[in-house]
Amino acid sequence: MIEFRNVSKKYNSSDNAAIHNATFKINKGEFAFLVGSSGSGKSTMIKLILKEEEPTSGKIIINGKDTTFLKPSKVPYLRRSMGVVFQDFRLLPDKTVYENVAFAMYVVKATPKHVRRQVPMVLSLVGLSDKAKVYPNELSGGEQQRVALARAIVNNPSMLIADEPTGNLDPNTAWDIMGLLNDINLRGTTVVVATHAKDIVDRMNKRVIRIDKGNIIRDEKGGYDGEI
Amino acid sequence: MTVRYNSIGYLIAEGFKSVFKQKKMTGASIIIMCATMFMFGVFYLLGENVNYVMKQVENQQGMRVIINDDATETQIDDLKVKIQQIDNVSTVTFYSKEDALASMKSILGDHQDLMAGYDEDNPFPASYFVTLTDLTQNSKVQEKILDLDGVDEISTDNDTIANLSKVAQSIQTVTLVLLSLLIVISIFIIVYTIKLTVYARRREISIMKYVGATNSFIRGPFIVEGIIIGIISAFVTIGIVALSYNAVLDRVLESSVIKSLTISLYGFSELILRVLIVYIILGTVIGVLGSMISMRKYLKV
Repeated sequence: MIEFRNVSKKYNSSDNAAIHNATFKINKGEFAFLVGSSGSGKSTMIKLILKEEEPTSGKIIINGKDTTFLKPSKVPYLRRSMGVVFQDFRLLPDKTVYENVAFAMYVVKATPKHVRRQVPMVLSLVGLSDKAKVYPNELSGGEQQRVALARAIVNNPSMLIADEPTGNLDPNTAWDIMGLLNDINLRGTTVVVATHAKDIVDRMNKRVIRIDKGNIIRDEKGGYDGEI
Repeated sequence: MTVRYNSIGYLIAEGFKSVFKQKKMTGASIIIMCATMFMFGVFYLLGENVNYVMKQVENQQGMRVIINDDATETQIDDLKVKIQQIDNVSTVTFYSKEDALASMKSILGDHQDLMAGYDEDNPFPASYFVTLTDLTQNSKVQEKILDLDGVDEISTDNDTIANLSKVAQSIQTVTLVLLSLLIVISIFIIVYTIKLTVYARRREISIMKYVGATNSFIRGPFIVEGIIIGIISAFVTIGIVALSYNAVLDRVLESSVIKSLTISLYGFSELILRVLIVYIILGTVIGVLGSMISMRKYLKV
């Protein structure tokens, strides 16, 4: 599903590689954490998966396709296979919860009928059916992240990429969001979560790919620092 | 809630929304586009009228090709065919020796006695009166006619013709320069206006990119915005041009100079469609180009 083969990424501005010779494979239906302190290279890894950045060397294979030489015009279609959530939610403040989710559907030219069926369904999945007409600024942080999650999965992507999804949330709310990510994973979606929240990673007990200074130093099931 | 998710409807609605959201910038760019379009329009109309006047003068200002006195009738007929075959020749009219004498007599009016005796021994040469389709080609046509057999000389009012074609050419140059200037300035202004909208909506654009919207879909509303600005400017300018043209035309037609000449100018109704089409095409092209340029940076991600 997501495969890195000897991927290195160097930014022009610095001498040190942001990612150094990374090789790993995340299979269909898997749940994996990308962990490491800030500046370790997690975000670069996410950007590489989203093809927001190009690797300096190596290959990135997504859904069996080498994306290294993907034409820019094909990138939108690659992104339709992945849902994304961010630490800062990135909702549109002048649109209601319903419209925020529906927006993701009509930019990929979904039919109105499909939108009317799909949006209420994902809103109920994230537990926000009663907040459809509410604007984001009237919601709590956890609820906003739920809207972002609904938006990320509304087009049925085969994988969900989350970059520090609980970074702005209190521990209890964070745990709710993780539960939701787990539910989405159980429905068959591959989930990749970049985070530095040790307690959550330990509690989830999933596969952990740990990055330090651009190197993958550990890749196994367990907690943040090793097997529990 | 009852938002309709129809793609084309979405593009147009979003385009109009940002036109009204950025009222000041949109207003400023419409004013500047109108000003440049107006300047272009003035010269365009001036050029059209000068061309029109030139056409009329061309029809009146022909050249007189004097035929050798010893030319036979077949030679004279041959000559007519040969002149007609030359490029840019419009009409060829024959004036016999008798015609020439008669026209001289009519000019003299009461002083017919001066012409006494000429009836028996007519000194006036026969000639062809040649008019051209394009006055700027005057000297070329003259050279070709002088090469033909049976031609004695050509009498023409070269200065008038040369002056008129000079005026026409310089107006054409000015119009072209203004047109290029108009395009550059207007694109610059539209780029700036749309960049503001793009900036205000950068969040939306980045979300669109993450959920997999194609670049052409993201660009859509901004192109619509550019076209709206362009077309509003086109219609506002055509109104201003119409009013000023008619005002100027009234004064010009009343002036004694024009009245003394046997030429006419275009009424605005004869030109409005042409000007409007030019403006709308310009407005649309500038709008599209401007928004494409202003979007470039934001579509890279």
